[in-house]
Amino acid sequence: MNPLVTGRSRHTHTSRGIRTALAVFAAAGIACASVAVGAAAAAPRTTRSSASPIVVWVDSTRVPMIKAYEKANPTVKIDLVIYNGNANGSGYLQSKIALDNRVGAGWPDIVFSEENNDASSLANAQFHYPAALSKGLVSKSVLNGFAKGTIAGCTIDGTVYCLRNDLAQNVLWYNSALMKKFGYKVPTTWQQYQALGQTVAKQHPGYIIGSANDTWTEEIYLWGSACPMNYVTGPLTVDINLASSKCTRMASLLDSLVKAKSVNDTESVFSSSFDTTYAVTKASPLGHVLMMPGPSWYGADLLVASNIIPKGDIGAADPLAWAGSPAVTGEVGGGLWFMSSHSKNKAAVASMLVWLSTSAGSQGISVGYPAFVADQTSWIAGQQASGDYATQLGPVFATAATEVWPDWGPVPYSTEAVWADTVTPALVGGGTITSQLANYGTQLTDFAQSDGYTVVTKP
Amino acid sequence: MSAVPAKLAASDGRESARRGGRPRKKRGVSGYIFVCAYVLLLFCFGVAPTGYAIYLALSSSGGHFVGFSNFVSTGKDFRFVAAFEHIGEYLSIWLGSLVVFVLGLALMLHSMARRVSSVFRFIFYLPGALAGAASVLVWLFMLDPSVSPLHVLLSAFGLHVLGQTLLPNHLPIVFAVIAFWTGAGGWIVVTYGALNNIPYELLEAAALDGASAWQTALRVKLPLIKKWVVYMLILAFAAGTQLFVEPQLVSEASLGLVSQTWSPNELAYYLAFQNDNFNGAAAVSVDLLIVGLLVAAVLVFRTKLFEVD
Repeated sequence: MNPLVTGRSRHTHTSRGIRTALAVFAAAGIACASVAVGAAAAAPRTTRSSASPIVVWVDSTRVPMIKAYEKANPTVKIDLVIYNGNANGSGYLQSKIALDNRVGAGWPDIVFSEENNDASSLANAQFHYPAALSKGLVSKSVLNGFAKGTIAGCTIDGTVYCLRNDLAQNVLWYNSALMKKFGYKVPTTWQQYQALGQTVAKQHPGYIIGSANDTWTEEIYLWGSACPMNYVTGPLTVDINLASSKCTRMASLLDSLVKAKSVNDTESVFSSSFDTTYAVTKASPLGHVLMMPGPSWYGADLLVASNIIPKGDIGAADPLAWAGSPAVTGEVGGGLWFMSSHSKNKAAVASMLVWLSTSAGSQGISVGYPAFVADQTSWIAGQQASGDYATQLGPVFATAATEVWPDWGPVPYSTEAVWADTVTPALVGGGTITSQLANYGTQLTDFAQSDGYTVVTKP
Repeated sequence: MSAVPAKLAASDGRESARRGGRPRKKRGVSGYIFVCAYVLLLFCFGVAPTGYAIYLALSSSGGHFVGFSNFVSTGKDFRFVAAFEHIGEYLSIWLGSLVVFVLGLALMLHSMARRVSSVFRFIFYLPGALAGAASVLVWLFMLDPSVSPLHVLLSAFGLHVLGQTLLPNHLPIVFAVIAFWTGAGGWIVVTYGALNNIPYELLEAAALDGASAWQTALRVKLPLIKKWVVYMLILAFAAGTQLFVEPQLVSEASLGLVSQTWSPNELAYYLAFQNDNFNGAAAVSVDLLIVGLLVAAVLVFRTKLFEVD
């Protein structure tokens, strides 16, 4: 055998093989690219038939509600996906919906969002995700059953796009045992609160009466001071005026208490370091938190869950007012239930949506105060029965719900996210909120304008 | 002495013709197969998406050609300049430390005994074995003074809570530290490999001429591996400008202390998925591509990277 000939013959054979392999690879590559491009260009199509499972996205806190629905409706198939609830303005939900819109498939049938401004972005022309509930999917009697004003954030141009899960109205939480031990009276005005903060700093250093490090700080304090930073005055028009005395008075109050060290400004209330410093321990059986203005869900979700105030000593008082002005308060979250406009079995999905947001089976185990009025009494009874609270929550929550300042409208950008990366770092770095208000206002204005809003500044 | 020339000979591809007389064309074929797989992946995940990004950047959401208007509108975005400033600061720290420490450590390894050197190479390379996201999580613990094993060191710098570690002026340093920890090990190994390609005779000649270890490193070894350094700089620059995972995860974990549009790549992501502006996002991505290509071109031509000696 001539080795040279054999070699050539083998080489020719191999070359052909390689050409074939190349052709296969190239075809596969082109197919890959075509699929990618084709998928991107594909026309939107509906995702669920009546036989398909209902795809539900919720945060981990809402999982028991879904499990309760499954138990009550064993024939309904559910695909449960746990995600971050779009918390703290993370925008995760928008990113997923944008991708689903891009490929024309994959939308969840039901979504829970912790951000109470999400209807304004998800229902706009860019995302066009939620189904119009008030157009035949949810009856008027159900919609009328929600507490006054709670469906406003879900209503865009007269159409309701979501159902409110819970009210997140801010109240004044306090440690009844510590207040009694130190001989303090629960304040009713911000001025009294500030004076008490200065007293605590002198008499009991190391104890705090509030926290100003979280992303929702502005929703507790600035909203509670009727600061016009988010006032939607018309379609795509927002009033942002951080120079208003209603904003600056609260900024100075917080700055003075941060300086006195009776308000925490360095750690999130949900951080482990906050627990280490302020929660109940063997060495400190009453903890170091004297008061904490915050949302109704702080009770179960923070004060009880993280053992910040001893069980049985958690008190709730009406929101603080500025002396001489009517009391107003803000909200931190208050979850929203959306259903997809792309669902095929809309009736089944809408029925589940209504069950989750209105039924006693679901709202009875909610950590937040139900937005659906008929569920509120039994929910309060359940909370009181736990023995965690030193006061009656019902009257306080009911008063606070009516005092939520209505001129803080939902906008498609997150005021929390902007606060977190402008004001919080300055505060942690030793700066003041007052010095950051103008910068915060500029950032909010930039975000509003980039979302197509006209920004006005009313005196 | 005899082991070194044998190793050098083995590393020289031209020597293979002498081994067993296998036909050269056979070697060429296997090369094509390897390249073929690479070309396929390059096309699917490199060239095709790039082409699609350029198409998106030049068109409107309705698919109409709009020239450079996406570039103009994103360039005017209030977050655009800040994002590029952030990445500029980060790159200057990351690339500077990369060159100094990678070269320093590789030269140190090269002058060590082989066994000791291989242990250190393994140790240096180890962090790179972690996926990007996992290494960021490791650093989240390292940088949080309340849980960090380095809390004494952090306290010495006046850092007592995570928020203080993540102050805006610390971020370029924090991200450079994470990037160095995860990425430098691989480059140390590559640079060590480059140093091993220096003919032993040259080093021996330098030693005979009385060059100290320091002089040999600076005047003999470094000039000979210059092209490797340039190659490292090109790839590290391209990877650095695309910083995404670190600021994104740190932002999420710190409840938003880091802006969601800290880096240009994050801005592109934000535009695409928060504003549903894929065309604007593509324009920012193409901006990054252009910057990367320009810097690569300057480095390639200034250092004659592709010229064969």
